[in-house]
Amino acid sequence: MDGFFQQFPIVFHALNVGFLQTLKLFAVTLLGAIPLGLIISFGSMSKFKPLSMVVRFIVWIVRGTPLMLQLLIIFYFPGLVFGQQLWGGGEGGRFFASAIAFIINYACYFSEIFRGGIQGVPHGQQEAGQVLGLSKSQIFFKITLLQMIKRIVPPMANEIITLVKDTSLARIIALQEVIWAGQAFLKGSEGISGAIWPLFFTGVYYLAFSGILTLLFGWVEKKLSYFKA
Amino acid sequence: MKKIIALLMALLMVGAVLAACGKTEEKKSDDKTAATEAVATADSATADSVASVADLEKVQKAGKLIVGITDFKPMDYQENGKWIGFDADMATKFAESLGVTVEFVEIDWDNKVLELNGGSVDCVWNGMTLTPEVTSAMSCSNAYLNNAQVVVVKKDVADKYGDAESCKTLSFAVESGSAGQEQAQTYGFKFTEVKDQATALMEVSSGTCDAAIIDSLMASAMVGEGTGYEQLTYTVALNSEEYGVGFRQGSDLTAKCNEFFATAKADGTLKATAEQYKVQTALIDG
Repeated sequence: MDGFFQQFPIVFHALNVGFLQTLKLFAVTLLGAIPLGLIISFGSMSKFKPLSMVVRFIVWIVRGTPLMLQLLIIFYFPGLVFGQQLWGGGEGGRFFASAIAFIINYACYFSEIFRGGIQGVPHGQQEAGQVLGLSKSQIFFKITLLQMIKRIVPPMANEIITLVKDTSLARIIALQEVIWAGQAFLKGSEGISGAIWPLFFTGVYYLAFSGILTLLFGWVEKKLSYFKA
Repeated sequence: MKKIIALLMALLMVGAVLAACGKTEEKKSDDKTAATEAVATADSATADSVASVADLEKVQKAGKLIVGITDFKPMDYQENGKWIGFDADMATKFAESLGVTVEFVEIDWDNKVLELNGGSVDCVWNGMTLTPEVTSAMSCSNAYLNNAQVVVVKKDVADKYGDAESCKTLSFAVESGSAGQEQAQTYGFKFTEVKDQATALMEVSSGTCDAAIIDSLMASAMVGEGTGYEQLTYTVALNSEEYGVGFRQGSDLTAKCNEFFATAKADGTLKATAEQYKVQTALIDG
């Protein structure tokens, strides 16, 4: 199978399957990491010193080590040290382990963005809430969180676009995402071997998807420009 | 200061745990005995060695044998979403002989020992060359196929490099940690380590390296007329070597696998499967 046009449908299909896995990992990570990140940011802002110290210690470890290493440790460590494979060796297990590693990693980065966002809301806003007789949770949800969301859109957009590309790291534990799918044709897969272009072509997927995200965040930012703060 | 000490202690503990693992692994390497003895040692041993020795029980309990592979024609490759190939077919038959189903998982070949010891796969069955590194890190079956490491160069310069001596001037690409790399070191070639054999071929065809060293079985499938690398060819065979199946250290499946190969050889299945994938000339006789 020599011709590009004969190869294209086969490669396109394989890359689509791979990219679906990329998208799944991306979506699951966001869904898990945003709430967890908020919890971690509360932990790191806690007035109870031991808690905030432990949380900041964890954030330091997670942000201070490569995600690739974290993936390897999360997937292989339980089986190696405790003799108990947690995840199962199949594709589902690999996806699950990758998702856990990505959620923990991104939650820690998000938590710092959230902390910056929350602490960036002027204290006067909370005082105003108190004057109006709002409860603590009302102040948080109706005043602080609302203004924090607006502030964190640009840094979150940054992290989220990085996440799209970081999903490719999961190939280290053999999660078959789009880069893996593209590389398979180098070595030979489905009758095509030595084809280099599928690997480069995966870039188109990343570019298109981050383009969509960029537009989406631009729109969100515009939508949220309701207070001229 | 206290915190720093605590941190150092924690790191030390992790180190100690890892070191301990390493030791039990070494011990296990010399007892390749059957399940009976495995059960006896299991009583006194720690949890992880139980799991890594009584593999037959584990596999039968799970009802499936998880086989770590890579996409490697003609040994393991996909057709219509199903894994076939000489190794894939034999692995399927081996699983049948154990009364379980087979599950193929593509792994990163660099991590095969991690995959085995971590329990995410039960064996690696993918045209694996039995090097001293491989046999010391895992429990290997008897060899079932012959292989050689060959030098791949561009066709137009092939006749200049007919023997190992003339190749000394070339720059080589080899798969990191492969049998090809070992040969490059033995012959004192200048080489660059790349991720896999396919990348090594890419290096040659793109001209970033002059030559690559890869498996002859792979070379015959991937290089030359009618393949993706028509402008390449292979010349010198640097050595001869053998393929085997890898299991966890001390696994009781290794003995089962050898039994299986003996039966398959006796009843002709091994030969028939080899012929199906055109590797019959490489089969080990006797």
